[in-house]
Amino acid sequence: MTFMDLCRADDLSPPATPPGSSISSSSPSPTLLTRPPQRMRQSYPDHLFGDILLQPSTLFEGCQLDHLQQIKASFQQMNALQKQYFLYEILNCCDTQQLNFVSSYIAPRLKIDFLKELPIEISLYILSFIDDPKTLARAARVSTFWNSLLKDETTWKSLCHKHHYKRRSSIINGTSLLGPPARRTNFSYRDYFKRKYAIEAAWENGGKVSTFLDRLDPGLVTSLQFDDDIIVAGCDNHKIEVFDARSGNKLRTMEGHEGGVWALQFCNTGGPEDRRILASGGCDRNVRVWDLDTGRLLHVLRGHTSTVRCLKLRDHRTAVTGSRDNTLRVWDIERGVQKFVLLGHQASVRCLEIHDNLAVSGSYDSTARIWDLDTGRCRHVLSGHYSQIYSIAFDGEKVITGSLDTNIRVWNATSGQCVATLHGHTSLVGQLQLSGHTLVSGGSDGCLRVWDIDSLECIHRISAHDNSVTCLQFDDRRIISGGNDGRTKLWDIKTGRLIRHLTHPAKTVWRLQFNDTKAVIVMQRRRSSNPDEGRSAMELHNFDILDEPKLMPDEDVKME
Amino acid sequence: MVQLLSSDNETFTVDKQVAERSILIKNMLEDVGESDAPIPLPNVTAKILKKVIDWCEHHRGDPVSQQEEINDRKRLTEIDEWDQKFMEVDQETLFEIILAANYLDIKPLLDIGCKTVANMIKGKSPEEIRRTFNIVNDFTPEVRQFGIISHCYFLAMLST
Repeated sequence: MTFMDLCRADDLSPPATPPGSSISSSSPSPTLLTRPPQRMRQSYPDHLFGDILLQPSTLFEGCQLDHLQQIKASFQQMNALQKQYFLYEILNCCDTQQLNFVSSYIAPRLKIDFLKELPIEISLYILSFIDDPKTLARAARVSTFWNSLLKDETTWKSLCHKHHYKRRSSIINGTSLLGPPARRTNFSYRDYFKRKYAIEAAWENGGKVSTFLDRLDPGLVTSLQFDDDIIVAGCDNHKIEVFDARSGNKLRTMEGHEGGVWALQFCNTGGPEDRRILASGGCDRNVRVWDLDTGRLLHVLRGHTSTVRCLKLRDHRTAVTGSRDNTLRVWDIERGVQKFVLLGHQASVRCLEIHDNLAVSGSYDSTARIWDLDTGRCRHVLSGHYSQIYSIAFDGEKVITGSLDTNIRVWNATSGQCVATLHGHTSLVGQLQLSGHTLVSGGSDGCLRVWDIDSLECIHRISAHDNSVTCLQFDDRRIISGGNDGRTKLWDIKTGRLIRHLTHPAKTVWRLQFNDTKAVIVMQRRRSSNPDEGRSAMELHNFDILDEPKLMPDEDVKME
Repeated sequence: MVQLLSSDNETFTVDKQVAERSILIKNMLEDVGESDAPIPLPNVTAKILKKVIDWCEHHRGDPVSQQEEINDRKRLTEIDEWDQKFMEVDQETLFEIILAANYLDIKPLLDIGCKTVANMIKGKSPEEIRRTFNIVNDFTPEVRQFGIISHCYFLAMLST
C-alpha cells in the first residue's frame, strides 16, 4: 500500500465539508451542516508529491501504520457531524504549509466536469451559449467526451443559425453547394458550418485570387454578369466575351454588334432543355439575342433609332430596352419581335428596372415612369427631380431614383407619389441597390450611403472613394464598391467599417459582381511600361477555399 | 402561501407568486388546486431550494415572457449584476442549481446557470478548460498528436 492510498478518498465515504465553507485555522467553530452524499470525484493527476510515489513504510514505523489504519477505520464509522468535527480538529493542528497541501489536494475534487455530469440536453444547451467557433474548436480537444459532445449536430446547427448562415434571398444565387441543407443526404451541420466559416474568413482575409490581364482589350467593359459556370463581359470594342467562371479561360467571343456594347443580361430558359439566353444592346441601335451556350445569334431586333443605353430581361421570353431615342421597347425575344414601344420620355432613357409586369425607367428628362409590360401603358410619371436621373431601383412597391440634382427620391409605385427625398450626396447619384429594408447609394462625390428605407434614415455615410463610385453591390453582410480612383473596397454593411481593399490599385474599376462565394471585378490597370496606357484586368476571387477537398484533412473520422 | 418540502425534509413557506416562477410547481398547483399540504420536491435539497427561492424572490416581479429567445445577442452575453453575484458559488452548488432549475422548470434561472458555465469555457485553451473542471485528457497519444495537427489546421484556416 502506498501513502497515496492512504490519502486517496476512493475508499472513504465522501467528504463531508461543504465546499463553500472556508478552511482556516482562525475560523470560528464551523457550521456543522449535514448534506447529502456527493458524487465521487475522479482524482486529479497526483502531482502533489512530485514524481516519487512515497512508500508509507519509509515514512512510518509498523506500529504507527497500524495506528493510522485504526484512525481511518474509526473515521469511516463516524456520522457526518462527527467526521466534520474530526476534520475541524485535524485542520486546526495544521500549519500553513499543510493547509496549502490540503487546499491544493482538495481543490480539483470540488470541480465538476459539467458537460459530462449534466444531462446531455443541458450540456448542449450550455454549448448553445457559445458563439465563438474557436472556443468550440478548443473545447473539442478537452477530452474524448467533450469531443463527442461537440460533434453533436445541435451545437453546429445553432451556430449556423447564430451566424446567419442560411440561404439568402439574393437575386444572385450562390453555388448549389450552399443550398438548403435539408435536401442533402448525409448532411453535417458541422461540415456545413466549417465550410461557411471558412468562406466568411476568406471574405475577411482574402480568398484565392486569379487575375487575367489583357483579355478584354482594347477598350472598356460596360457590363458584367456571371453565374456558377460562366462570366460574360460586354465591351465598347463591340465584343462580348465569355469566360469559364472556374478557370477564367476564355470560352468564346461573340461578335456582331457594330458599335460598343452598352448593356447585356442573360438568364436561363429553365425546362428540360435548359440553356442560357443572352440579350445585348449598344451603339449600333440593335438588340441582339444569343444562345449563350453555343454562341449562336438567335435574333437581331431592330427598332431603336439611337444607342441602346439600358436593357433588362423580365424572363427568357421578354426583354425591355431603353434608348437615347427617348423610347423604351418591349421585345418578345423568343420569337424575335417587338411587342411595344413605350413613348413618353422627353429625353434619353438612362436606366431601367423590372419587377413582375412592371418596368420603371429613369430619364435625362428628370422624370421616371412606371410602365405596364402587359399593356405597354404608362401608369405613372414620377416628377420631382430637378435634373437627369442616372440610377433606379425597384422592388415592386417602392421606386428609388438617383439624380444629378444630388438627391435620391423614394416613390410609391402604386400611387406614383413621391414619399421622400433623401438628401446627403453632394454630387450625382449614379449607383443604387435596394434589397429588403436596405438601400445603398453611391455617388460621384465618392460616398456610399446606407439607408434604412422604412425609417428613411441614413445609417452609414462612408467616404469610400476619391472619385466617382462606378459600381457597387451589397448583400446582408457586406458591400463591395468600385471607384474611378481605381480602388475596390469591401465594407461591413452593419458597421460601415472598411474590411479591406479587394484589389491592387488600378486606374479605374469598371464593373463588379459577387455572390456568396465568388467575386468578379473588371478594371483598367496601368501598363507598367507606359503608365498612361491602360490594360484590362479581370480578377476572379474565390472565397470557397475548401472547394479543393485535398486541402482538408478529415480529422473528425480519426478523432472517433 | 405555498409550502415546499425539500428532499431532506425541510419545509419552506413562500408566496404563491414566487413559487409559481417554477413551471413545475405552477402546474402542480393547477392540477391539485389549493391545498395546505406541502409540495414534495424529492430532487432538491434544502440548501439548493433556499438558493432557488432567493432567486425567485428577487425576480418575482419579472415579466414571464416567451420573448427571450428572440433577442439572440442579449441571450448570449448578458447576465445582470445581481444574477452574477448570485452565481458566485462553488461548482457543486452551481451544478445543483442548474439541475434544480431544470427539474423545477425555471427557464430564466437555467439560462443564467448555463451561461455561467459557458462563460467558464469561453476564451480558454483546452488545458485551461481541463484545469477549470478537473478533466483528464483521455485522448490517446496518436489522437492527441493528430488532433493537435488538425486543430492547428482548423485555426490556421480560421485566421488566414
